[in-house]
Amino acid sequence: MSIVLSDVTKRFGDSLVVSRVSLEVRDGELFVLLGSSGSGKSTLLRMVAGLLLPDSGRIELHGRDVTYLPPQQRGTGLVFQNYSVFRHMTVAQNIEFGLRIRRTPALRRKARREELLDLVGLSGMGSRYPDQLSGGQQQRVALARALAYEPAVLLLDEPFGALDVQTRSQMREALKDIQRRLGVTAVLVTHDQDEAFELADRIGVIDHGHLLEVGAPDDLYFHPQSEFVAGFLGGGNVLAGRAEGRFIRLGSVALPIPEAATEQEEGAPVRIVFRPEFVVVKAGASAPKDGVHSLGRGRVVRRTFAGALERVRLEVQGLQGARPVTPPLEYGQRGTPIEATRPASASEREPLKAEDDVWVGIRSFHVLAPSGLKVLIHVDGSAVADEGAMLGLLLGQAAGGPTTLLAVAEESQQVEEWQRRLEEILKRVGAARSPWLQSRVRIGKTVPEVLAEAQEGFYEIVVVGGPARGDRRNALREELSSRLLAQAQAAVLRVKRARPQLKRLLVCTAGGEPGKRDVVMGGRVARRAGAVVTLFHVDREPVSPEEDVRVKRHLEQGAAMLSALGVQAEIRSARGPVIEKILDESAAGDYDLIVLGAPTGPGSGRYGEIDHMAPVLREADRPILIVP
Amino acid sequence: MERPSPDSPAPITGPPTRRKAGPSRLPVFGVLAILLPLLFLPLAAVFVFAGRSGWSGFFSALSQPDALFALRFSLLMGFATAAVNSVIGTFIAYVLSKYRFPGRDALGILVNLPVALPTVVVGTSLLLLWGPIGLLGKYLDPLGIQPMFSATGILLAHVLVTLPYMLGAVRPVLDTLEVTYEEAAYTIGASRWQTFWLVILPALRGGIFTGTLLSFAHSLGEFGATVMVSGNLRLRTQTAPLYVFAQFEAGNIEAANAVAAVLAIISFLLFLFLQRFARRPERPEA
Repeated sequence: MSIVLSDVTKRFGDSLVVSRVSLEVRDGELFVLLGSSGSGKSTLLRMVAGLLLPDSGRIELHGRDVTYLPPQQRGTGLVFQNYSVFRHMTVAQNIEFGLRIRRTPALRRKARREELLDLVGLSGMGSRYPDQLSGGQQQRVALARALAYEPAVLLLDEPFGALDVQTRSQMREALKDIQRRLGVTAVLVTHDQDEAFELADRIGVIDHGHLLEVGAPDDLYFHPQSEFVAGFLGGGNVLAGRAEGRFIRLGSVALPIPEAATEQEEGAPVRIVFRPEFVVVKAGASAPKDGVHSLGRGRVVRRTFAGALERVRLEVQGLQGARPVTPPLEYGQRGTPIEATRPASASEREPLKAEDDVWVGIRSFHVLAPSGLKVLIHVDGSAVADEGAMLGLLLGQAAGGPTTLLAVAEESQQVEEWQRRLEEILKRVGAARSPWLQSRVRIGKTVPEVLAEAQEGFYEIVVVGGPARGDRRNALREELSSRLLAQAQAAVLRVKRARPQLKRLLVCTAGGEPGKRDVVMGGRVARRAGAVVTLFHVDREPVSPEEDVRVKRHLEQGAAMLSALGVQAEIRSARGPVIEKILDESAAGDYDLIVLGAPTGPGSGRYGEIDHMAPVLREADRPILIVP
Repeated sequence: MERPSPDSPAPITGPPTRRKAGPSRLPVFGVLAILLPLLFLPLAAVFVFAGRSGWSGFFSALSQPDALFALRFSLLMGFATAAVNSVIGTFIAYVLSKYRFPGRDALGILVNLPVALPTVVVGTSLLLLWGPIGLLGKYLDPLGIQPMFSATGILLAHVLVTLPYMLGAVRPVLDTLEVTYEEAAYTIGASRWQTFWLVILPALRGGIFTGTLLSFAHSLGEFGATVMVSGNLRLRTQTAPLYVFAQFEAGNIEAANAVAAVLAIISFLLFLFLQRFARRPERPEA
């Protein structure tokens, strides 16, 4: 193995940039790290080059541990997006720089330089200065400079990002060719999926510092494991339905589960992905052909000309209960959006325009690995936290996602004691440990450790014990909750007393602009738990008729979206003191969970200061889910 | 508000009439009219007065021992100032540009302060520190060390006054050097020192050269701080500008003008050189 990364983690201040990345890059391979900007891909590359030190983890180059070595001793060749060719040196001097540093004899230097000039296609240009070269040529110089001293690995940080489209494709070909010929192991970082497909032997998709999937380009394209990869590579349609025998139920449609798909539990959520080019669109009412799975009838929302392809956005009726993941459901939309592409020849033969009625089918699809809401449960030894654990485990079970019980030990001697405690809790609810249910003990201070775990593990909901009378840990829980909301962007579930079930949800949108994220999150929980939702709105004072209409419309749209998710929803509204009304409603309706949106704007995340959050939290004995 | 001037375009109604090609030249003549008394005539006056008694008068005025000393001394101070500045100015600019530390912005403003301070104030402040009764000077004086009223004092004042010009020439170049420039050198295997010597410094060549010339030019003409710290001692600490002033005060207009003319010519040549250099691409032999 040329490069071995184990559990490499890097933070900048409070934000987690690279999270426990483990990766092996094979000898002679061209590996592409693909991710959007800010995903941590460049940070990872710079750690391999030695320009940054990881906070934890290990980096090996050809079996040598280089984790803490300075860049000079790693022998990597690095090519930057901005070329960074030395301006005051000629092309030849640039290429020879590494050899000069290594005190290579002049004759050998010259021979090597000529060889490399030839290789990168710049023979005869050795005496030029960088400002006499085009961008593409400068990048060729940078490449030759990085290859001159036969580096252990070649690292390229968005090398073609600053070049125009035509030069870029020439450079890709040249790079692939050179890398093959020299057999040098290379890691290239890019956000450009076409570039990744064209160059890579293998691709690693990275998002928010997490290395999500690694595989050959076609494998990742046709058989992605996660929603993100499915949506990021090539754009795709991801729909979520439920397993029903050997079929996947998507509203009124049932698709057979392919042989290759992993075993699906009866009734569990199943997500399928199909590429836009596998969508069959037929105008008129013609019957489905053999080998095409019908999705039913729909209409054309819009069509876009895109050169060789035509993009068609469709809305299909009758898939209610199937949750569209990508393309995302627009707020208030009722049908299911489907993205399709057709070759130009097809659009000429059978032109489509917006509002056309069509028949929609798919030629093939792929089942994603199961995943649900990721739930993290913080146990601190108190009674309320144990109650929280009960409800959190119930939620985790319903949600069908990975659940982790977490305790933080102040010192390493206490780790075993905490582990025993976590075992006890698991035993009490009769849950067995599985890949989907884990327990973990971290060592350190409570707030930063829980925050770190939430960020590293990508948890969507973190369960924290509710405020308890006279508990000295209350302040700590407050701080933890507000930082989780602000920094980890995770929803926080505060529990004083567990509920035996999750059947009735109250989603509150009080005063001001009613939130959307709280409605969506409430919907996701309800959908997974099979609960009914009440959308509840309180106005403090009488409002103008226009405002009233606006709020009503918003609530109706919210309800429509929930029903598109397959969640039964009703709308209620009240007028009067916000806190009192919410408390009254939660008691009267016997709800199992109250969903509140965390206020945004100044003081965002510090919900303790904001009007309705703190008193509701103090007074209500129901579990409260606070959505960032 | 505006009344139509005689040559304003034709009224909007009616067919388009013949218009003058290109914009009016009037503003250009305006600029010349302003600059004539402001810049050109004073410059001309120096040479006119210097040449009044012919070449022989000019040369004899210049060959006075005092005049020769003052010119030589000024050139020496200029070279010394430029040399000291090119080293410490580059160093300060490098640290301010490449290191992140608290108070960096404040320091960046502070080192540029001398350019805004009246030079007389700079001179006074130096006197109050290093002079015989100054904060530090009063301890040095009994030891026989007197930095003021000597070449050392003048050098100190000139370095202080011209430092901002050096920084102003070098720091922008450093700021435009991407971090990746150094990082590339590190990954290739160059140590920090090799990187500075082989990669950073050559890239700064143009900036350092410009800064050095500017320091030299400003040192040559420095008056306010110099008059305070030098003591204006004939044949010991009298720089060319001080000589010009002294001779003028004494009524030796010809002697003053001869040296002034030489100073003007040197400055003019330096300036021309700078202009040409600034336009040239930053390459060693081109």
